[in-house]
Amino acid sequence: MFLYSLLAGFLFGLYFSLIGLGLNLVFSVMRVVNLAHGDFLMLGAFLAYWLFTLFAVNPVPAVAIAFAGFVIVGLPLYYLLVPRLLRAENPEMLSFILFFGLSQVIEAVTTIAFGTSERSIPGDQLGRAVAVVAGLFAGHTVENGPVELLGNTFPASWVASGIVSGCAVLLVYLYLYRTRLGYLTRAVMDNRAEAIATGIDVHRVCAVAFGIGIGLAAVAGVFAPFMLGSITPAMGTEVTVTAFAVIVIGSLGNPLGTAFGGVIYGISYMLMQSYYSSWANVLPYVLLIVILLLRPSGLLGRQVRRA
Amino acid sequence: MIRLSIIAALLASATAASVQAAQAPAEIKLGTLYASSGRYASISMPVFDGLKLWIDQMNAQGGAYVKAYDKKIPLKLIAYDDQSNTATAATLYNQLITQDKVDILISDSGSVLTSVAVPIARDHKMLLIDQTGTGATFFTPDNPYIALMADPVSSIWPKPLADFITHDGPALGIKRVAMLYATNDFTGTQANSVRKFIKEANSGVEIVFDTGVPTNTSNYTVLLNNIRAANPDAVVHLGYAGNDIAFLRNVQDNGIKFKFLFCIYPGLESELLEKNLGKKALDYVFTYVPSSAIHYQTNFGMSLRDYSGAWHKKYANAHVEFGFNSVAGYTTGLVLEKTLATAASLDQLELRKAIFSLSGNLKTLDGTFELDANGAQIGEITPLGQFVPGKNGSPELVTVWPHAVANAKPIYPRP
Repeated sequence: MFLYSLLAGFLFGLYFSLIGLGLNLVFSVMRVVNLAHGDFLMLGAFLAYWLFTLFAVNPVPAVAIAFAGFVIVGLPLYYLLVPRLLRAENPEMLSFILFFGLSQVIEAVTTIAFGTSERSIPGDQLGRAVAVVAGLFAGHTVENGPVELLGNTFPASWVASGIVSGCAVLLVYLYLYRTRLGYLTRAVMDNRAEAIATGIDVHRVCAVAFGIGIGLAAVAGVFAPFMLGSITPAMGTEVTVTAFAVIVIGSLGNPLGTAFGGVIYGISYMLMQSYYSSWANVLPYVLLIVILLLRPSGLLGRQVRRA
Repeated sequence: MIRLSIIAALLASATAASVQAAQAPAEIKLGTLYASSGRYASISMPVFDGLKLWIDQMNAQGGAYVKAYDKKIPLKLIAYDDQSNTATAATLYNQLITQDKVDILISDSGSVLTSVAVPIARDHKMLLIDQTGTGATFFTPDNPYIALMADPVSSIWPKPLADFITHDGPALGIKRVAMLYATNDFTGTQANSVRKFIKEANSGVEIVFDTGVPTNTSNYTVLLNNIRAANPDAVVHLGYAGNDIAFLRNVQDNGIKFKFLFCIYPGLESELLEKNLGKKALDYVFTYVPSSAIHYQTNFGMSLRDYSGAWHKKYANAHVEFGFNSVAGYTTGLVLEKTLATAASLDQLELRKAIFSLSGNLKTLDGTFELDANGAQIGEITPLGQFVPGKNGSPELVTVWPHAVANAKPIYPRP
């Protein structure tokens, strides 16, 4: 029971790393709190649902479509919202209000379009993709079904989600630490005023980060029907709160910290579910308070955030 | 002299009639809440739409007949969106009573959003027309301001399930039961009842796994593994629609086939669960057989077939599935229609008296309307059913318990 909870928590936590990754990136670069993050995730989920029900598109290609689509949406959205926000005296506080409003609008419009009921994608759809990939590596046909890890079986969708989440963390890390745009992004994260003084096109850097941030949320959304049971237009708020807990646990501004925070959250959640199940959902809030009291910079953080 | 008396009598009766006509309100205000978003939207909107359908029908006929004024009076629905939030709901219930001054207060769907209305209605001495809030704690001898319309009280829901397990179960090989439930008034009460019924039956059946989880739980993989480790012969999962979807999806994704698996919502909201899980996921699952699957003989209102037709015509593009909850909203309307046609005044306790006078006599598409002394619904029972593979691949719900209403034998263990 303990080992199973540990492994399940690891996979579940990787998924929450993916959820937190985009939120962390946006906050670190722009110092705005995107309270609509969970709603962008929800939109990604409904995009995958819509692609599957109307065009029978498997969730795996939907990952690429969602990411590309939301990055493209994110760029103009950044120029529409964020520069004006940053000109305000207290952009961080104003961002709460603005993105809360955006969250409400997104939820209301999605409710009108899709209704309030739960929606989902059959679980075997991701399993099929996992079986195909596993078959390519194994050199023989692999049956679509649960995957065995260290003698325990887990849904194939969990494994697929874990792999994609791990890859996303790695790619964001490589983007920040191995690309020119990534260096510039880190410069803005470190000191926005100095970045402007050195001639960096801060808005371009921020727009890309914003696009990637909500693109990552949309990718997490594609896996939401498999990891969170079902999707509804109202799911965003709860997701945002958990994502916020995850990035605070890890550390703001560090993708590896987010991965760490996600895994800590996932394992703690599953252990709680096994041994004190009634209290499992209180966990993100308890972790959030404990970390803020004991180590405000997060488990992997180096400094307290400035804002 | 006689002529004068006749004139006086005519004048008196004319005056009385004009006073009564003047007192008759232009409309009867019905106040309710609904959740257009949030966790309870999928059980709230069908109830709300069912109630609206009834109101629209009434108003199309000139209103509901109100005995207190001996005339038809149009119905005005005042409804607010509580967004599945109990704090918002509490504020809005207060607003309906104190600001809108509704004549009839109707709660939102489900026990969670009804729970906050119970004390508010009681404090304001307003009769709470409780649509589907079935928590047993709502109904107490010292509270006359509540009556449950369309669902049996939670404590009696699982009676057929527990009876089946304790009576027929041991012979079939069911001796170890695992129970997982969401900790809210609706399913928490049912879990208590299952425990009580199994214990009282003393049939050798034991509960080997008994765990409550928060209602917003959306992931059951670890819990399923723990249930499997307890090696049960039967698994009972008690949760809301969202819980059932997540639970059954995890059962499916983990390739688990419990010998006996019971969930509440496959029967109650079959359309919704089939859409989410696919047709095969419901095969051999035990569930309640709700009013939306049984054609009861009615003595008032539309039959299930007619109502289903009217619903699908009115809400063809509304993204709200037809099911047990949509029947519940319409049933509330039918009970109110009869109540208004019976009550001598719109005084809240007079309305209560009128509702109680219907108990045992009113037969709607939801079954026999019957209340206990505390206002809890005990008539519209929920037999135990099982989904079996149908001829065209769609799962078919058959009734397996009680024997008196069963139309098939249970399949245990599941293939």
